Amino acid sequence: MADKSFLDRGGPLAGVRVLEITKVWAGPYAGKMLAHLGAEVIKVESRTNLDEMRAYGGVDTDSAPYFLSINQEILSVQVNMKTAEGLDLVKRMVAESDVVIDNIRPGAMERSGLDYESLKQIKPDIIQCAIKMWGTDGPLGYQTGYAPSFAALSGLTALVGHEGETPRGMNIRYGDSTAGACAALACIAALHHRESTGEGQFIDLSAVETMTSLVGDSLFAWSVTGEVPAADGNFHPEMCPHGAYPCTGVDWVSIAVGDEAEWRALCETLGASALRDDPRFADLSSRLANRHALDAALGEATRGHDAADLAEKLREAGVPAFKSMSSLDLCGDGFLWGREAFRMVSDHRQGSRPIIGPSWRISPDGPEVARGAPLLGEHNEYVYREMLGLSEAEMDDLVARKVIV
Amino acid sequence: MTGALEGLTIIETAERVAGEYTGKLMADLGATVIKVERPGGAPTRHMGPLREGESALFAYLNTNKKSVVLDLAVPADRTTLDRLLARADALVDDHAASWTEAHRLEPEAVAAGHAHLVHCIVTPFGQGAPASWQAARPLNVINAGGWAYHSPSETPHDKPPLKGAGRFLSDYEAGIDAAMCVTASLLRKRRTGRGQFIDISEVEVQLNRIDCVLDRMLAGEAEPSEARTAYDMGGPGTSFACRDGHVFLFMTTRVHWKALCELMGEPEWTADFREDWLEFDCTKDNVARFREHFSDWIAGQEKLAISEAAQKAGVPIVPVNTAADLPRHEQFIHRGFFQEGEHPAFGQVLYPMAPYRMSATPVAVATPAPALGADQEEAAHG
Repeated sequence: MADKSFLDRGGPLAGVRVLEITKVWAGPYAGKMLAHLGAEVIKVESRTNLDEMRAYGGVDTDSAPYFLSINQEILSVQVNMKTAEGLDLVKRMVAESDVVIDNIRPGAMERSGLDYESLKQIKPDIIQCAIKMWGTDGPLGYQTGYAPSFAALSGLTALVGHEGETPRGMNIRYGDSTAGACAALACIAALHHRESTGEGQFIDLSAVETMTSLVGDSLFAWSVTGEVPAADGNFHPEMCPHGAYPCTGVDWVSIAVGDEAEWRALCETLGASALRDDPRFADLSSRLANRHALDAALGEATRGHDAADLAEKLREAGVPAFKSMSSLDLCGDGFLWGREAFRMVSDHRQGSRPIIGPSWRISPDGPEVARGAPLLGEHNEYVYREMLGLSEAEMDDLVARKVIV
Repeated sequence: MTGALEGLTIIETAERVAGEYTGKLMADLGATVIKVERPGGAPTRHMGPLREGESALFAYLNTNKKSVVLDLAVPADRTTLDRLLARADALVDDHAASWTEAHRLEPEAVAAGHAHLVHCIVTPFGQGAPASWQAARPLNVINAGGWAYHSPSETPHDKPPLKGAGRFLSDYEAGIDAAMCVTASLLRKRRTGRGQFIDISEVEVQLNRIDCVLDRMLAGEAEPSEARTAYDMGGPGTSFACRDGHVFLFMTTRVHWKALCELMGEPEWTADFREDWLEFDCTKDNVARFREHFSDWIAGQEKLAISEAAQKAGVPIVPVNTAADLPRHEQFIHRGFFQEGEHPAFGQVLYPMAPYRMSATPVAVATPAPALGADQEEAAHG
């Protein structure tokens, strides 16, 4: 019998079973959040309709980098959803699950008979969560797209850019993962409602609106003040200086000064008494009015410093500061490794693999995150034999007829 | 209809946006969230923008919450907090260790006094980080987590990394993870009657959100570097200025390219590009050359009209929507993302709501952010 240590990993969601029919990033990320909280998350997969992440960056579907970097502690079951028999098996899995998550094309679940009304017939208290660009219905509900487009549509991109320039938005990768996190939150909330009332429900998540929710205070403020917010570089109306300042090499240090004591400490640490005594920078309102001159002068003062050293000195002096971290800085950061922000999980090819661990530590009875992403179909036997109760002969037959593929 | 978290009571001692947003997410989902405010009110009550003497930020972050004023340095008030905690299900905090220790609200003290309680503390770097690091502000967090260095895509080395959208992007991201963990732990509490301690690192939320890019570098499958473009995807996708605002173009296939050429009326310069250049000849030079020509053309277009024409033609051009565009956008209206409300100081307002529509437990603003100490009596005597 296969290793089944995945069955008891502890954690707050131990005992919750999630079925995910997901691809690429947002959907799998939702599954990951729940798995890293202790849920048993089963990913429905098939060679006939592979998650693209099993293909990117390699030829081996079992060790594709993108896939391995997201799907830790996920179980994989193979089933060909293009066959009626396969769909029937998926429905039997649904009957044994608490939550079903998908992020496949709008209408695809419905066409497969896996819409909420149908799933409710199979499992009356099922919680189903659909993650789509615009949600499942409405005038644009049919559309599909990519994360940077969601961000542009959402109102978020308009707020990110260097002052006076075209707002180019957050990095092009931003957005998918947050949508997955919001989906996971809604699913857990729905589990509470099921506990109190016995009722399941349908959760219809819009990836565009996820991005919108991240600028909620700016949008709400507009409805109060009528002032349309725009991209504003690193401007902060209540802190100045507030920004990133050049250091040696290609490095930058972020500095956020919140009061006069911090301002004086900044000038002192930089040995910049001229700045401290400059009437243009005497108080917050003067500094805000002259912030471009201030940013330029500060940049001159920081330019000769090592970013990490300067940040450390500033923090010790009571000024919130941190180096702007590159990918190279992050990967080699001793603090992050020491805190297990980066940690090792098992890996079928290499033995072990570093992953980016969850943002949480939970104690006592925290969830174990120790197993890397699954091989395609690694948990077929568990799902078909134990969960669904098929005999070995029945399972062999399904494999032979390419229903399990 | 009731909210999904109906019946759960959360005490919020948090005083930063990260913790207040955690509470908001849960309050909007139906939990009873009692906000504990210092005399004079929570710091966010004094943060702009202000109208009629009230903070729009506070009004947004504290929908559906209750307010009690406690001076936790005064023993009687500290005892009142203990009474509140004894009846509550969870405590959400976002203070540094120096504060929690001074108020006997560090994890060990809370677990010893209230074993039933789910206790979450959100801090910039997580428990155990050096004290001076925990004073980090959102700007520092987003720089420490790597997103600032890589935003916007393709930023050259001589331009500063950016803080992201608005003032609190990293706080909102952390609030999502915190609310997720607290809600999950409360499910366990239903079964076991026991609480847990949850330590959330805002920087680690930032790292987790880029898992499939950064982890490949950790694992040695991609090269980590000093490049500002290390998270980028290449290709011509970016924002462009048009006549009345901006549009975003994201284009990856020859189908997109052919459709765009047709949309532009097959200008001569397009002939210089291979039909499959996006897939097989997407060099830096070609991207730059394309953008130069495309910028000239798109500058004369109107953002909504051209986006609509592009969508019909199969070209992924979308408008870069502003705050003013969203409430009148047909899909936002259809889904009811904005909820109209009457705020006691501001009058008619529009609340941005949650991105999830829940069929049995819709998220709604039932009450606006509370007046300072609005629920004092209930807390003191309840």
